Amino acid sequence: MAISDETLRAMIRDFHGFEISDDEMELVRPAIESYLAEVEKLRDLDLSGVMSSRLLRASEDTASHPKNGGES
Amino acid sequence: MANSNLTNLTISELAPMIQARELSPVELTEAALEQVDRLQPVLNSFITVLQDQAREQAKEQEAALMRGEYRGPLHGIPVGIKDNIDTGGIRTTVGSRVLSGQVPAEDALTVAKIKEAGAVILGKENLEEFAAGSTSNNLHYGAVHNPWNPDHIPGGSSGGGGANVAACVTFASLGTDLGGSVRGPANFCGIVGMKQTFGRVSQRGLQVTSFNGDHIGPMTRSVADNALVLQAIAGYDPLDPSTVPVPVPDFSELLGQGVSGLKMGIPSNYYFDFLHPDTEAAVRRAISALEELGAEAVEVSLPMMEYAGALRIPGMADSVVTHESFLRDSRDDYGPTVLYRTLAGQFVLGRDYSKAMKVQRLVKEEYARVLQDVDFLVTPSSPVPAWRIDSETVSIDGDDYPVRGPGAGMTSRCTSPSNATGLPAMSIPCGFSQDGLPIGLQLIGRPFEEPLLYRVAHAYEDVSPSRGRRPAVVDGS
Repeated sequence: MAISDETLRAMIRDFHGFEISDDEMELVRPAIESYLAEVEKLRDLDLSGVMSSRLLRASEDTASHPKNGGES
Repeated sequence: MANSNLTNLTISELAPMIQARELSPVELTEAALEQVDRLQPVLNSFITVLQDQAREQAKEQEAALMRGEYRGPLHGIPVGIKDNIDTGGIRTTVGSRVLSGQVPAEDALTVAKIKEAGAVILGKENLEEFAAGSTSNNLHYGAVHNPWNPDHIPGGSSGGGGANVAACVTFASLGTDLGGSVRGPANFCGIVGMKQTFGRVSQRGLQVTSFNGDHIGPMTRSVADNALVLQAIAGYDPLDPSTVPVPVPDFSELLGQGVSGLKMGIPSNYYFDFLHPDTEAAVRRAISALEELGAEAVEVSLPMMEYAGALRIPGMADSVVTHESFLRDSRDDYGPTVLYRTLAGQFVLGRDYSKAMKVQRLVKEEYARVLQDVDFLVTPSSPVPAWRIDSETVSIDGDDYPVRGPGAGMTSRCTSPSNATGLPAMSIPCGFSQDGLPIGLQLIGRPFEEPLLYRVAHAYEDVSPSRGRRPAVVDGS
């Protein structure tokens, strides 16, 4: 996934960002590419079901907890 | 007693001597200040040394003792404070030129607490610029050097604290940990570093870059000492919404109980995927040692760690917001590494921030599930031993990874997940590389179960190959 310098400059202009010179853009770009690579990895991960109402399915049998000396 | 013999002792050894008035806080502080004078030119571990204030505090602590007011095991103990933790009336630079003249009006709560416990503040310790990195190679205040080999980094960002504790300059230091900045220097300097559960210790007065996962944590030479320092700084702070109103246990209560009957989880993925061979060998030996002590090893899987890289995304955006006014007014005062990684944060989309937070939730759930089946996890603290200060990359399995800026997440990949989960995690020394550089073992526990981690670490400490070893600089050789 790539993003053009024009898009980045438009974001800076339209969202009141911090100006970046052409030379600086080259120095900022590796961090942007790293961010975009991580986002790309998430593309196929279904996050739609991650909601606050979704409770963690943990064992309710406290006797089985290793801390209490039982087997889980 | 000779000064070097005094400074080599631990807090647990010194406290009874001070309580019994066999050792004066003034004498101990003078011995520590001699170490500062001798080793600051070698280690560059302080940004500000507080000789006069330390002497005054030591006199006050001695007077309190004479009045019969013993304040506990930190009474009269010289310590260091990382220079991103507020100290009232004392310059707090955060390792930056931007804030080089900043003088906070009051102490951070942890500093107030440690002073109330009787500790003597020797100085403000050097760190990575804005605590943003794992080298402590500070462009503005100079590189911190590793006491085991001054050509190598001490880790970061709490590198000054790590170097000072390892070199017996301080007896404890307060570091901060947003991605491993207490545990990393603990690993690289061969000391004990605790990042307790998120919410256990107040962040008030810490110059945070992100409220999502920053911690003030203790760095010490022994496990027992670490528990004593955490005891002094832990507790709910009604003025810090990140703290949790849970009782503070006796962090030393389980020391000496051994590990027999405990289940330790060994992750089959992520943590052991990229390791220097010396690190892997030392950590595997430590796991075997824990088994010999009676712990049961259980392999566990953490599939969500495939997406661990996304956990850095919120921090990118948080950083640019934190720096907004500084970038506007003092942009030229930044070092390039911090400046350009911070500027990149302005391009993070809200959608991606939200996705990363959902990944963080899933990772938290996964650790919670795994820690239903085992009592604690064992991992390396870092993939590699300390690299040279002049290195731009570290090599693992023939691949080179940058040590600064984009891609530098490799160096903190073992520690940073616990900042996202908020789980307690600590690094303890478990041997040395073939080059004589320390290697650390990381223990990760359930929320608010620091006493169990201390129990395990204390048991292992007795059999660790690092036991009793000190850097040569400690004794002047």
